[in-house]
Amino acid sequence: MTVLKYITDILFSIRTTIWSLWFLIAMLLAGAVVMPAKEEFQTIHSMPLFDWLSEQSFIITWWLWASIAVLILLALNTLLCSVQSVLKKRGVSNLLLILSPQIIHAAFLLMLLAHLLSSSGGFKEIIAAGEGAAFQLNKDGVVLVIERIEISADPAGYMSDWGVDIVYTSGGKQIKRDRIMPNRPSLYEDFNINVKDLRAFPQKAALVQISREPGALWALAGGVLFMLGIMTLVILRVKTSRD
Amino acid sequence: MLIATNSLFALLQDFVLSMWDMFKLHILSLLLYTGGVFRRQLLYAGLAVQSVYLLSRGLELHRLPLVGAHDTLAFVAASAAAFAIPFGMALGWDAKYQKGAALFAAAFTLFSMFSKQHNIPLPPVLKTLWFELHVVTAFLSYALFGIATVLGIIYLIEKIEKNEALQYKAILIGYCLFSASMIFGGVWAYLAWGTYWLWTPKELWTSILWLFYSLYLHARLRPWWAGRPSAILGIVGFVVVMFTYLGVSLLMKSSHSF
Repeated sequence: MTVLKYITDILFSIRTTIWSLWFLIAMLLAGAVVMPAKEEFQTIHSMPLFDWLSEQSFIITWWLWASIAVLILLALNTLLCSVQSVLKKRGVSNLLLILSPQIIHAAFLLMLLAHLLSSSGGFKEIIAAGEGAAFQLNKDGVVLVIERIEISADPAGYMSDWGVDIVYTSGGKQIKRDRIMPNRPSLYEDFNINVKDLRAFPQKAALVQISREPGALWALAGGVLFMLGIMTLVILRVKTSRD
Repeated sequence: MLIATNSLFALLQDFVLSMWDMFKLHILSLLLYTGGVFRRQLLYAGLAVQSVYLLSRGLELHRLPLVGAHDTLAFVAASAAAFAIPFGMALGWDAKYQKGAALFAAAFTLFSMFSKQHNIPLPPVLKTLWFELHVVTAFLSYALFGIATVLGIIYLIEKIEKNEALQYKAILIGYCLFSASMIFGGVWAYLAWGTYWLWTPKELWTSILWLFYSLYLHARLRPWWAGRPSAILGIVGFVVVMFTYLGVSLLMKSSHSF
């Protein structure tokens, strides 16, 4: 019973939040030193984070494992403290001032969920392709065809714009036509198809990236919620001090 | 051939002269900010002149002048000078605060003058509203964290509670803008590179900075951290800001390198 009380005291305490944040900052600082020094990190974007971590030595990834462990503690602590805060302060006059930090906490949890989903179920593949190249997109037999690559340059020779026309086909029939442009990927089902790099000579070619980020929508929802919460908090804090 | 060379030289000469005319505004704003240490009106004048300089850079480049160390340092200086006004009014223009804010703007303007201008056209991936929102909110937050540092230092010297309360407000608004910058950056990265998160030194340091100010906002709620310790924490935060902004961009290979 005493042990259980000790654990709940830790999980419900803001002191745990503060110590967890210190520890997390220390781990990321260690990572900021380790990461640029080890060439294994060059491949970190080639696969989902958890797959990459399972392939790498603990000697270089210990700070990431420690960060994940402390993030789990921080997530639990955030959830429990938020619930406790809302329950304790029910019925107070300035409800928005009580709720806005909890909205921020909920957004933080959504962002953690987004990273968890992307780190476990993400997908990425990069293909160098010229005009006319085709490759299979999914198991249903959908094929992606690179139809045309357009590159424009300004008088000084700098690339000023580009566009890649693509066609999705299935069983020889066209099912969708799209154009990939800077900051405008082609979205098909849950795939994000974008162009990482282009070459004009000797033949036009594009480095096409097909990726899937299962956490993207959760991250966006978290971001929107976070902004709602923090802006409410800022407005209320400024207003309160004026009153 | 000779005619072509001459007209090219004339064009180049016009360009250098117009750049020098613009640069004179930059030097003038430095002098005015330095004068702002003694007279508040000179701080206002410095802000006005630097705003004209940044506007002229934008017109010259046909884009937001927020790429490279030269323009971003000048933007941080002007933003800090602008944010210094409401906080200065709330403090009744404390002499030490005025000196600190003017010196901050002058120092950033001076660093900007010694930094290389980025005058080449932007690559297509940077021509988007998401990039503009990402950088504007980031640099506005850096300016607010800078003003918070000035307020924190004055609190440690004068021990007036109001300075610490204003430091908290500056950090809270800065934190809001910095969070917005990270979110805009995430949306932009997803559209440009298919992922909202990249494991690069800049992203790691950005997370450290965001977590550090999250720590400040939580620690300040505890009685032990109230007052002097949280004021010191707010000041230390700006060291992290400077490394994230300049250290990582200058020293490490990243998508944010200058």
